[in-house]
Amino acid sequence: MLEVRSITKRYPAVTALDGVSLAFAVGTSHAVIGENGAGKSTLMKILAGVEQPTEGEVLLDGAPVRFRSVREAAQAGIAMIHQELNLVDELNAAENVFLGREPRRGFAIDRKKAEQEAERWLHEVRAPFGPRTRVGDLSVAGKQLVEIAKAVSQQARYLILDEPTAVLSERETDALFDLLGRLHGQGVTLIYISHLLDEVLRLCDVVSVLRDGQHVETRPTAGSSPAELAKLMVGRDLGDVFPPKAHPAEANPILEVENLQVPGWVRGLGLTVRPGEILGLAGLVGSGRTEACEAIVGLRAHTGDTRLGGESVRLRNPREALRHGVAYLSEDRKGAGLVLGMSAVENTTLANLRAYGGFTIDRGRQRRATDAWIQALDVRVGDPEEPVGTLSGGNQQKVALAKWLDGKPRVLLLDEPTRGVDVGAKREIYRLVHRLASEGLACVLVSSEMPELVGLCHRVVVMRDGRSVGELVGDEIGEHAIMLLAAGVEEAA
Amino acid sequence: MRTQRIFEQYGVVLALLILVLVNAVLKPAMFLQPENVRNLLNQSSYIGIVAIGMTLVIIAGGIDLSVGSIVALSGASAVMVLNKNLDRGTMGVAIAVLAGVGVGTAVGAVNGFLISVGRLAPFIATLAGLVAFRSVTLVMADGSEIRSQSMDAYPAFGAGGIPLPFVDGAGRNLILNWSIVVWLILAVGAAFLLARARFGRYVVAVGASERAARYSGISTGAIRFWTYTLLGALSGMAGVLLSARLNSVASSTNGLYYELDAIAAVVIGGTPLSGGKGRVWGTVIGVLLLGVISNMMVSFGVSNYWQGAVKGAIILLAVLLQRGRATD
Repeated sequence: MLEVRSITKRYPAVTALDGVSLAFAVGTSHAVIGENGAGKSTLMKILAGVEQPTEGEVLLDGAPVRFRSVREAAQAGIAMIHQELNLVDELNAAENVFLGREPRRGFAIDRKKAEQEAERWLHEVRAPFGPRTRVGDLSVAGKQLVEIAKAVSQQARYLILDEPTAVLSERETDALFDLLGRLHGQGVTLIYISHLLDEVLRLCDVVSVLRDGQHVETRPTAGSSPAELAKLMVGRDLGDVFPPKAHPAEANPILEVENLQVPGWVRGLGLTVRPGEILGLAGLVGSGRTEACEAIVGLRAHTGDTRLGGESVRLRNPREALRHGVAYLSEDRKGAGLVLGMSAVENTTLANLRAYGGFTIDRGRQRRATDAWIQALDVRVGDPEEPVGTLSGGNQQKVALAKWLDGKPRVLLLDEPTRGVDVGAKREIYRLVHRLASEGLACVLVSSEMPELVGLCHRVVVMRDGRSVGELVGDEIGEHAIMLLAAGVEEAA
Repeated sequence: MRTQRIFEQYGVVLALLILVLVNAVLKPAMFLQPENVRNLLNQSSYIGIVAIGMTLVIIAGGIDLSVGSIVALSGASAVMVLNKNLDRGTMGVAIAVLAGVGVGTAVGAVNGFLISVGRLAPFIATLAGLVAFRSVTLVMADGSEIRSQSMDAYPAFGAGGIPLPFVDGAGRNLILNWSIVVWLILAVGAAFLLARARFGRYVVAVGASERAARYSGISTGAIRFWTYTLLGALSGMAGVLLSARLNSVASSTNGLYYELDAIAAVVIGGTPLSGGKGRVWGTVIGVLLLGVISNMMVSFGVSNYWQGAVKGAIILLAVLLQRGRATD
């Protein structure tokens, strides 16, 4: 039995886990569900030795343990398949399976033995490729199999999977579930993180719900309905989270994109947005949504027509885009959205710095503008001159938003604006987007979170394989309808 | 905690003050004499000028190994041009200065072009420059020395400057050399650029997160290009001033290892090699620290051969002391 007792994990800006106690019995298939930011991943990272708890303890078969590294957890029989796979693309499957514990003969690596053993484990997980396949050439599903083979080869008794199906097609998901069922039958305890309730009910026999870093409930899946679990996860009605939709005034489109092509990603996408409208851009990971947005603001080579207010424009980089009133909030807040080492003041004015002086910067004006944004967006910062790296996700995102709003855009492309943001801040960001739209800003919302698309958008375009495969308006917008289009499933009549 | 922070911030200044004090106490007849101070500043000024440009390049996330060779190449170019314009007197000197600085700027721009447009790793591009520019200098001088044939104007420029109210042993007024004047003006200018100018802000942003800068609409390639071009221009100035002081350029040794001293001074001054932040005044202190150490070793009669070992120790010490700041 693997158990956690009153585990608390505090980061400088947020408390990710707050006194969580949970037990994973041997031989069960145990789901841990919760919204983004509920603390699921943090809890699993503690179990797998990636993170250390601030308080509380982990017990394995009744004895307290403390994993200081992934290796220590693996030696105790606990393996984790992360959302972002940890494989070396340049090495082959066998080398990845045995990375860090290569079989040796003398000083040299015993390649033959490694390949033979790896072959056995790859066969065990029914991988359709051999041990010499370069991992970089594999699909995401294939890489996942390498990770699982690695875990199995380490005699893992507890296998933790962090949203493994998020990046898989339906068929790949079925294959994964078959494999997990088989491993479970062999006595491996599965700990399965997800927020997809259908999956959880299909695969697991016990489910624990986390919300805002706290344990809400553990119950058998038998007799639970998705609706009940959803309510436990959210803890409130969605109506609370999203402001009531306002109806945008009739107006001509402000942004029109026609036949957008981005080599390898987008194949002939068309979009229009009107002032005051919130247009959702739905689709699975890899469907080309981010790439389309990046192309629109000139971050990617592309072809196609872009018209702003009826006028044909060529936007070759984000500066030109902003000059024409188009801004793009990146999905990668820490890597591309903000300069983490710079202050809130410096970040807020970075995209629009020309407005603060030609050669020298008017620092007084810069500070006043930032203070105004801090107030308008309710950013909680101690000192606006301190680096933004120490702020919480939600406050960082508000600074990133302020950076673009400071350039007074007419069209705002928001790419996963609530990723890695806690529930409270999410709600504030929804209200903010709602308010900006009602003030006449045209918004494009790229999101993988269905409730967001359903709760905020006036219209949703669903993308698959770089194309628009359908558009939903008004009451047609629903999680089910979006999912069917995104996954390419024909609904049975 | 707080005192530790202050120590990390201003440790270099403290180190410099301690060294100065030790020198002043142990060699009172030597060290604090105006003449010695002037000499120290003069000797430090050439690397000091280069190190200012190096600070900007490093803050923007780059590195330039070719500066020593640029110093030699631009000095040699200046002297060659001078020898062709001897009959023009002061005008000839001006033409030579422009030619030298122009050559430095041009090869700096080549570095910048290779790195920003050609997408070469800065280390590789400027490593090529390090060997290539030196080689061109050797060819120009046929492996030996290019001597200035100017008997008056050029050496006068090299020895010239602003008169100071101190006299040397021979009773003549001390001169604050042009190289020192240029160094200090450039230091103030670069510090201003970094703290107040849009260009400086962009330099920091590019070094701290190239991607975030690009996504914010900054032409990151152009910013990088200009940092290398600026460093080329400054190396050119250093090369010209040095050639004027010596009134010749030894093609194999002129400016040799300047890149290492400049990088060392930047790092000692508290600018991390990983870029994204930094300070010009720290680099000035770093250069002075290296200068004082050399000066000290000479006055204490320590063998020249030991200099490298001491410098190495100082570099390691500086980086170790500053490491605490990155993790707090």
